[in-house]
Amino acid sequence: MNDKATASFVTAFETAGNALPGAGSWLARRRADAIKAFAQAGLPHRRLEDWKYTDLRQALDKAAFAPAPEHKGAVILPETRGAVAFAGIDAHKLVFVNGRFHEGLSDMARLPKGVELHRLADVLSEQWAKALIERRMDEARQAENIVELNTALMADGMALRIRKGVRLDKPLHLVFVAADAGASHTRNLVLLEEGTEASILESHLGGKAALADIVTDIELDADATLLHAKLQDETADSVHLSTLRATLAGKARLGSFTLTLGCGLSRAQNFIRFAGEGAHASVDGAYALRAKQHFDTFSVVDHAVPGCTSHTMFKGVLDGEAEGVFQGKVIVRPDAQKTDGRQMTQALLLSRDASMNAKPELEIYADDVQCAHGSTVGELSKDAIFYLRSRGIPDAEARRLLVLAFLDEAIELAPHEKVREIFRDLVSGWFGEAAS
Amino acid sequence: MLEIRNLHAKVDGKEILKGIDLDIRAGEVHAIMGPNGSGKSTLSYVLAGREGYEVTEGTIRFKGRDPMEMGVDERAAAGVFLAFQYPLEIPGVTTMTFLKTALNAQRKARGEEELDAVRFLKLVREKAKPLNVTDDMLKRALNVGYSGGEKKRAEVLQMSLLEPALCVLDETDSGLDIDALKTVAEGVNALRSPERAMIVITHYQRLLDYIVPDVVHVLSKGRIVKTGGKELALELEKSGYAAYGADAA
Amino acid sequence: MAAVRETVETVGEVEKYKYGFFTDIESEKAPLGLTEDTVRFISAKKNEPDWLLEWRLAAFRRWLTMTEPTWAKVSYPPIDFQDAYYYAAPKQKVKLDSLDQVDPKLLETYEKLGIPLTEQKMLAGVAVDAVFDSVSVVTTFKEKLAEVGVIFCPMSEAVQKHPELVKKYLGSVVPTSDNFYATLNSAVFSEGSFVYIPEGVRCPMELSTYFRINEKQTGQFERTLIIAEKGSYVSYLEGCTAPQRDENQLHAAVVELVALDDAEIKYSTVQNWYPGDEEGKGGVYNFVTKRGDCRGANSKISWTQVETGSAITWKYPSCILRGDNSRGEFYSIAISNGRQQVDSGTKMIHLGRNTTSRIISKGISAGKSSNTYRGLVSVHRKAENVRNFTQCDSLLIGDKCSAHTVPYIETKNPSAILEHEATTSKISDDQLFYCMQRGIGEEEAVALIVNGFCRDVLQQLPMEFAVEAQKLVGISLEGSVG
Repeated sequence: MNDKATASFVTAFETAGNALPGAGSWLARRRADAIKAFAQAGLPHRRLEDWKYTDLRQALDKAAFAPAPEHKGAVILPETRGAVAFAGIDAHKLVFVNGRFHEGLSDMARLPKGVELHRLADVLSEQWAKALIERRMDEARQAENIVELNTALMADGMALRIRKGVRLDKPLHLVFVAADAGASHTRNLVLLEEGTEASILESHLGGKAALADIVTDIELDADATLLHAKLQDETADSVHLSTLRATLAGKARLGSFTLTLGCGLSRAQNFIRFAGEGAHASVDGAYALRAKQHFDTFSVVDHAVPGCTSHTMFKGVLDGEAEGVFQGKVIVRPDAQKTDGRQMTQALLLSRDASMNAKPELEIYADDVQCAHGSTVGELSKDAIFYLRSRGIPDAEARRLLVLAFLDEAIELAPHEKVREIFRDLVSGWFGEAAS
Repeated sequence: MLEIRNLHAKVDGKEILKGIDLDIRAGEVHAIMGPNGSGKSTLSYVLAGREGYEVTEGTIRFKGRDPMEMGVDERAAAGVFLAFQYPLEIPGVTTMTFLKTALNAQRKARGEEELDAVRFLKLVREKAKPLNVTDDMLKRALNVGYSGGEKKRAEVLQMSLLEPALCVLDETDSGLDIDALKTVAEGVNALRSPERAMIVITHYQRLLDYIVPDVVHVLSKGRIVKTGGKELALELEKSGYAAYGADAA
Repeated sequence: MAAVRETVETVGEVEKYKYGFFTDIESEKAPLGLTEDTVRFISAKKNEPDWLLEWRLAAFRRWLTMTEPTWAKVSYPPIDFQDAYYYAAPKQKVKLDSLDQVDPKLLETYEKLGIPLTEQKMLAGVAVDAVFDSVSVVTTFKEKLAEVGVIFCPMSEAVQKHPELVKKYLGSVVPTSDNFYATLNSAVFSEGSFVYIPEGVRCPMELSTYFRINEKQTGQFERTLIIAEKGSYVSYLEGCTAPQRDENQLHAAVVELVALDDAEIKYSTVQNWYPGDEEGKGGVYNFVTKRGDCRGANSKISWTQVETGSAITWKYPSCILRGDNSRGEFYSIAISNGRQQVDSGTKMIHLGRNTTSRIISKGISAGKSSNTYRGLVSVHRKAENVRNFTQCDSLLIGDKCSAHTVPYIETKNPSAILEHEATTSKISDDQLFYCMQRGIGEEEAVALIVNGFCRDVLQQLPMEFAVEAQKLVGISLEGSVG
């Protein structure tokens, strides 16, 4: 440990002591190991290949987030574009304020039979929860190591288990609000048993300067389907650090889509592993950034068994001095024949000072596979702008149309028509802010 | 409607137009013919205001205004329409969205009321039908996956919908078979009116069998070297451009 | 289909490496190991000026502080740098005036390699510099080249005859501190080719160098420097072979190219170092630093490589596109069979305005080999209107091999248009069946399909070598099919 921020997390761990859930159980030992491992490695920095384009150590040293306090008094949900947009969706709702579950704002009363929804602390003694928390993917250790920080300090979160054959009647909406400044560590656990179906919406609405550290552990049994849409729209002085780890059994389906508009620095990590044949995972996203925003997508899709398909597409526009990063890897293990893995990253640079770094990797150990990746970076086509303007469309409107069309190809991949509409409106609104 | 005097223009530092004079009145159709590289497309881009086409000398007056002082979209709103030789593909923007945005942007620029979705749809369908532009085409992304003929028909549809004062058709016949050419020509002819002027740029006489011009100009090496009636086109077909100081192309 | 399965089963029978013979010739070596004395010994042998000795020593001292890079996707036991000879030269009593005085055994060696060194027998229009272990044995057509002012000679000779050029350009593209192997090379390099094309001259023939490692336990550290003055053009080709030996041999070369305004350098490599046997025993460790500097406006550097040999290849021929409107190209075929490990690719560093680059990489893995493309396309803030197109295709033959693609794409200028595409495929049973149904033998069918897969790159080779390379593609895959 050789930096302030790492030390401050260790201090936070020591201070929290028995107040964290799971004291006296297996988890206490696991947490002790985790903080030790984290302290030993320290926060990641750019000399690590998996963090080549994002210096988390420097960012957190500078921002110095203390642990977020428990919020006192009434919570007013921020009237951000995201909050307003998702408000109209009929959903079971769980609200987390400063990383802690807020019962008053939540609505999880009418869940179908067979759907078990709890706070993290309530499931810690259950084997499935333990298995998920202890699971490691180990495909990109330098990236996955940051999960140790979450394991050591996780204070709350959602645990969803759906019993065999049950379908969640309407989406589960997780809302995260930072009513006070500070760091929060959240762990979500999802187990979908055989033949189940669920949709999860996740909105990170921000509020105050905060570090949101979220790990979502997902296990999909055979034939289970999870659709996941995430909106990230936090304040410019915030840091968002999220890791999604999912294991898919035979014929399971995962569709995850993230729209990133907010946050000063965000890093979204996705680890997908196929454990049964015939499964499909689609991990896609769109982002629109400006000013000094920095967004890093890191994804690993591990085809460990034959006959699975995966799709990753991230499209983004970068204005101001924004920086975009895409690091993605598709692994096809020996014997994982008939794999179809696709990976695409495309970025539009709207300003002189924006930059983009991409590293789309393929690692292939089987011959009967179809894998492809592509990457493009460029600015708006001058010819296209001219064409639109020659039809009387003013310059700003022409640019808006082209940017939205560019992002729309990704947004098309988001689950639910309603969500796609909301995302389109949000992106359109984002563009409007630039014009004003 | 359009007066061009001694127009010189450069592209990439190279002078392409070397003193063009042209007068076009409302209701007239002028054909500009010439070999490849004579400056035909450059003239159309200069009129539309494309970046990189620099006017170094001379004047243009369009409906009494100076287009050089107007942006590309302002010129369009004022009534200049360029039918592209190679219409651009714009993935993700449906033809319908594009048409609506363009029409309403022009109406707004002229201080007219914007059309709502219902009235717009009705109008588009009405204009699309004679051009054989199907609903399916309208729903697809602009020009993406269109055949050569479909692209040109879509250009004429835009022209018909936007009702420009001056239509500039840049090699609209290129890449069309005879049936597609007829459909496009019929669409263009339907737009001929006493209030509207047209410039038909073409390499071959063929198109002029269907869109009969009032005046034919021969452009060679950046200058108009001969002007005549529609019979000039037939003459050119026989003798070629060589007689006008151009290499046969 | 059974054919492909057989392909895999018979993969062990890698064809005998036909350049695996050893020439028994008396040679003079530096003492075993690497110390400052070794560096002094090499420098003294070459009768070098003080500045060059100091340059070497500075590199050596720096090298002592460095560690081997570990980021490549290759694995091998630790190399004992003290258990190798850093200089070996066939004993020659007097200085050579003509080919007649070359040891006939050496000439025979090159005949066996298919490279006749006597000018009558040579390929028309190709000048050859032959490097045997640490020294150049002969350079052909020197006089003819001298007529137009082209200098083509061994590096050691250039140091003596053109010290001002060597001093000006040596290390100016690959600095002595660049990386572990380049620094090692700077300390102990013993031979290589030197090429200077004067302003406005189009080099009248292809220049080529054949490198041969002969001695046991000997590393080869050649250093090649090519300077193309304003408005000049040169096409250069290198070929490499080594005897079949049980222990690994180290080859750590440095190649520096400098292209000034409007100059063009085309650099082609057919690398066929001994790859080791089917169990991975022996073979050359090919750790090479190659870099071209498009220093002048409108300059162009094009790398073409056909990599079929070596146990391990670690090689990234790169272009620094400094001059406005300069262009870099990288065309590569990398074939790995047996237990070969390839980690190769390129870097295109766009610094100047309107610079363009094109990368076409074809990786073919067979047997139990591993084949990685690793590349960087980087656009700096002031580089306007950059264009890059990259295509990386991998072909897998059998299911025990692997193919990896690791591209880095970094841009800080919005006017850049960068496109990268990568695909992975195998030879389909249908394709094989179709060819075989038409009476083409399976091995030939595979070679045919693979050659088709490589066509874009093979087309880039100078005519004289394209046929040779095409055959090599076939030979390298022999034994990978049933």
